[in-house]
Amino acid sequence: MSALIFIAVFGIIVLYLGFANNKAILAPVAIGGLLITMALSIKDWGVGSKYFHDMIVVDNFSIAFNVSMLIITTLIFLFGVNYYKRMEHHVAEQYALMIFALTGAFLMTSYSNLIMLFLGIEILSIPLYILAGGKKSSYRSNEASFKYFLLGSFSTAFFLFGIALVYGASSTFYLPEINTYIAQYNGHLPPMLMVGLLFILIGVSFKVAVAPFHFWSPDVYEGAPTLVTAFMATVVKTAGFAAFYRLLGMGLLPLPAALEKTLWVMTGLSLLVGNLAALKQSNFKRLLAYSAIVHTGFMLLAMLSQHDSAGSVLLYYTFVYSLATIPLFIIFIHMKRSAKGLEDLVIFRGLYKQKPWVAVFMTILMMSLAGLPPTSGFMAKYQVFTLAISQGYIAITIFAIVMAIIGVYYYFYVLREAFTDSEEPNPILIPFINAALIIACGIAVVLLGLFTFTIPI
Amino acid sequence: MILLIILLLPLVTGLGILFLRNSCTVRIVALTSTIVNLLLTFVVMGTSPAATFSAEWNNLMGIRFSLGFDGISLLMLLLTNLLFPFIILAGFKREQKQVSILNFLILLTQAALIGVFLSQNAFLFYIFWELTLIPIYFILLLWGGENSRAVTLKFFIYTLAGSLFLLIGIIYLVQLTPGIHSTDFSVLNQLHIPAATQIWLFWVLFIAFAIKMPIFPFHTWQPNTYTMASTQGVMILGGVMTKMGIYGALRFLFPMVPQGVLYWQNIVLVMCLIGVIYASVIAFRQTNLKRLIAFSSMAHISLMAAALFIYNYYAAQGLLFQVVTHGLTVVALFYMVQLIQDKTNTLELPQMGGLKHAAPKMAILLLMIVLVSVALPLTGGFIGEFLIIIGLAKQSIWVALFGGTTMILGAIYMLYAYQRIMLGDKNVSFKNTTDLVRLDYWMLIPLIAILFILGIYPQPILNLVEVSANTMQNLLTSATGVGTMMPH
Repeated sequence: MSALIFIAVFGIIVLYLGFANNKAILAPVAIGGLLITMALSIKDWGVGSKYFHDMIVVDNFSIAFNVSMLIITTLIFLFGVNYYKRMEHHVAEQYALMIFALTGAFLMTSYSNLIMLFLGIEILSIPLYILAGGKKSSYRSNEASFKYFLLGSFSTAFFLFGIALVYGASSTFYLPEINTYIAQYNGHLPPMLMVGLLFILIGVSFKVAVAPFHFWSPDVYEGAPTLVTAFMATVVKTAGFAAFYRLLGMGLLPLPAALEKTLWVMTGLSLLVGNLAALKQSNFKRLLAYSAIVHTGFMLLAMLSQHDSAGSVLLYYTFVYSLATIPLFIIFIHMKRSAKGLEDLVIFRGLYKQKPWVAVFMTILMMSLAGLPPTSGFMAKYQVFTLAISQGYIAITIFAIVMAIIGVYYYFYVLREAFTDSEEPNPILIPFINAALIIACGIAVVLLGLFTFTIPI
Repeated sequence: MILLIILLLPLVTGLGILFLRNSCTVRIVALTSTIVNLLLTFVVMGTSPAATFSAEWNNLMGIRFSLGFDGISLLMLLLTNLLFPFIILAGFKREQKQVSILNFLILLTQAALIGVFLSQNAFLFYIFWELTLIPIYFILLLWGGENSRAVTLKFFIYTLAGSLFLLIGIIYLVQLTPGIHSTDFSVLNQLHIPAATQIWLFWVLFIAFAIKMPIFPFHTWQPNTYTMASTQGVMILGGVMTKMGIYGALRFLFPMVPQGVLYWQNIVLVMCLIGVIYASVIAFRQTNLKRLIAFSSMAHISLMAAALFIYNYYAAQGLLFQVVTHGLTVVALFYMVQLIQDKTNTLELPQMGGLKHAAPKMAILLLMIVLVSVALPLTGGFIGEFLIIIGLAKQSIWVALFGGTTMILGAIYMLYAYQRIMLGDKNVSFKNTTDLVRLDYWMLIPLIAILFILGIYPQPILNLVEVSANTMQNLLTSATGVGTMMPH
């Protein structure tokens, strides 16, 4: 709880640091704050306390996810040191808004009341709307921000409507009570409750970009400043999935057959649509956006398997996915700079020639996303498949495997570009700190695969 | 412990040579490492199979890092470590870019292959199985010939697709293990899976191996990849990696889904025989020498696959013998292809001819290799294929008849190709061609010597193979109760 309060206040402090007119202190202070928050979070490990009339539950699940998000945000801030060097104004706001978004994410991992979930989603989303429009002069960035805002508010409206309907039927906002209320109907729910639940699912699905509610994500990913995209693809996704798991895995599952079928269809669609669209992308950010949709499908598969350890598998999956995604975005930033603003896949050409070590670690990161051993991405997928097969979902697992094969195609397509010589080589400049971080992430990705951790949550 | 050293030595040397600048030193260090590994393999052959290495890795998922061997693994290990010195040697004194990285990747492939053959745990097996793909992907991509980008990606996706089905199969099998799940082969072999499940599970497991070998409808990646690959790449692919498919089938299909094998046996045999004839006929029509050898290799592998699925004593013995000779022959043949390309600047058969006038010694050595390849008696190729044909005939005379066409058709297209390369009038464009140099003798003479010694006195390998064949036989009889009897 102290972690939540600290990070909320800390966001405001960072915001006011902007008046100090000293960009150099921002990143260290922000990272320091995140580390303090991490310490405060870990302090509560194993205590399991409830606050605000049980609307917030701080248990091991939420702490584990919070710490995972804090580590990822720290990583983003470390990369931000170089990224924001070129930015003259409003750097403090960038950090502060990400910290505010993190506050929302904390609520999303630890709610037990639908109102809290709503607050969490809003606190997470509003800073993101602003961050997506961070490049004020860029037409794309404005489009991204506006699109995200419009569609985001639309889905929030759905979500809110759903909460209202569920409240109307069950007269409670509390998840456990809703759960008992559903259980007493034994599968035949009143229509109002059914529609309410469906709307809630739509609202959350939109946040984690499950097909067919994914249409915003490629455009927003493409338009937003790349570091913000990295933030959205990792931290926001983790928070969304933690919320999703609390809603379903720890709350409402097993759902009535009709709703569960809907979720299975959404899983299949995410895998299929994401893959097929990714095959055709020439823009790297859009490619990663679609690949993120595919990963959402895999995570849904883990969640819907309703296995006891699905929570810890999700944690592992989101963490290693984030760990591989962020450095890729950073490599992309540098390649984009060297290619004078182009975002096509061909800009990766010549990377191996000029920066062989970065290319090697890019291989490892891509292998992890594609799910090849011995990286952690493989272990994550292995665990997901194990969960699904152990619960008897063999057909959908085989489908997911086929989708994983398609995924290898586009990841290795990008990789192949990196190992092709460029016709007109531009100098690629990667500052030491970023190169070191990329290599560290690559090593971490391999080590986490060799020594898979499981946190009992 | 010695197994761990054999596994890690190529890896460590490989990492080490990344820091060497002089390409000559790099090659010598790599060669030394592979030779030491070969000697260590001989040491292992003297020890008892109890010499295993096992360590805890991931208890939660029942994964152990356990290495060990039986007769079949030992044979595969011997083949791998026997071929890799030659593969490294094939790169000596050649213009290659980034020699240290190339040799690192080759040694990494070796380590992964050794891992595949030594793992006693299905999960570990899978990790190494996939790990072989990564270095070979880069060897093919960066050192391959024209059009390597598109072909390599196809090869990669194709083989990976098979592997992922294997992964499904492994996960499914592991879920069936009682108590705390374990992925050890010893546990998986004890499973009694219902016949109905085995029938579909067979295909999930089989596809991976069928693509690796490759068996008829799954072969489409192979000719293009072989044609495009660099000499060393194609030696690894054709010499050792095709054997992974055979080894995997022996490790997984027979002990775990024996009833599935029985159920699909005829279909798979038909696929193999179609492969034999189809590949032979296409090989005959090829004008590109490398493609011709690619198809000829596929024909031989198809025959081996047929022997695999017949699984009687003779066929098993012939198969395992042929694994060794085929690997050696492929390496020698592709080295010759490289030499021919160096000397004539082409691989198109119609543009060749009369090379023997310029390079008589080369003509003699190529003839010897061709004769081994067409399974002439007194060569190693004969023993293996003869045993296989006997084995096939025990099952059905028709299978033997169709399988036997590899020998006839093989003789036709190989000798025809030889005639077109070496014989005929003096070709003016090869006027300045030189004959073999000392390095080529170092490469070719030992390979040819081994192949001929194996043909004249096959007993040492047959003794080793007998252990393997018995191992295989025991696996089958214990699992199905239908394995055919020993002849004595």
